[in-house]
Amino acid sequence: MENILLCIDDTDNIDSRGTGELASLLADIVEKKGWGTSRPVTRHQLLIHPDIDYTSHNSSMCFKAVLENGRFADVTRLAMDFLATESAKGSDPGLCVVHLDRLKDRQQLIAFGRTAKKNVLTKETAYRLAEALDIHLSEHGGTGIGVIGALAGTGLRLSGNDGRFRGHFRINCLGDTLCLAEIKRQTHVECARSLDGESLFDHDRIRLGNKVKSVLLENRSTLLVFKSPEEPDIWQTCTKQQLKKY
Amino acid sequence: MSSWRVNAEGQREFRLGRNAFSTAERESQNCADFRLDDEDELVVDPDRSCYNCRYRRWTTDSFVCLKG
Repeated sequence: MENILLCIDDTDNIDSRGTGELASLLADIVEKKGWGTSRPVTRHQLLIHPDIDYTSHNSSMCFKAVLENGRFADVTRLAMDFLATESAKGSDPGLCVVHLDRLKDRQQLIAFGRTAKKNVLTKETAYRLAEALDIHLSEHGGTGIGVIGALAGTGLRLSGNDGRFRGHFRINCLGDTLCLAEIKRQTHVECARSLDGESLFDHDRIRLGNKVKSVLLENRSTLLVFKSPEEPDIWQTCTKQQLKKY
Repeated sequence: MSSWRVNAEGQREFRLGRNAFSTAERESQNCADFRLDDEDELVVDPDRSCYNCRYRRWTTDSFVCLKG
């Protein structure tokens, strides 16, 4: 088996499909071809700065996959062709594919991702690091500036502590609360914790808010919850405002 | 006072930053160009808010309206 991270950035324009949708499509195609199993897509926020050219929010989209042996080159070629044909007019797409079993230095890649959240980086820096770490990094139109976010996104996913999972959960719930174990059974949520860091037990009951989402914390799909002063005995899923910083 | 100003690049910028939730909601209700962004980029409830609009472009402190 081959473990990979695949990340894309800057594939959209203001009226097109979002980068997240393209990442999910790619993840689905990998599975439909029987090349491996894809994990859910995460969104990683990068620096907002006047010197950075982004469409509207400067985020990249990444997923993990476990491939059948020998499929790394096939997936990379698939993603390159996919971006060449599916990226929006006027976009500057970048693609990064990391073979985790061959990655020379995880910490350097993670550091690049964290730096991209704080500093303005260049394409040259990204290409240099990709070459040094034996990572596939390619651009597919426009200025190709999306390679920076694509490389950074893999580093942030690898860190295990960045980003929100794409989409929201559709959870069947007959009452107004559900225990954590049932939420885990119905979704890819692996654990739940409060905004203060308190871990929940499987039997803890949680009130589901509008459009429940999880975030990536300590390498796990984590449901974040809080208790409101009005109902101090019941956990509630976090609002969009509360999840904004992840 | 208007919630908007013209910035140095000539763009229509929201004056009140990223946390003026009720004003951003109200402004969107008066806007014929409002279009909900991809779900992954939504940052506030309810959905109808300039903060969730496809035509807002985040800046360091606020956002500009690309339809402005």
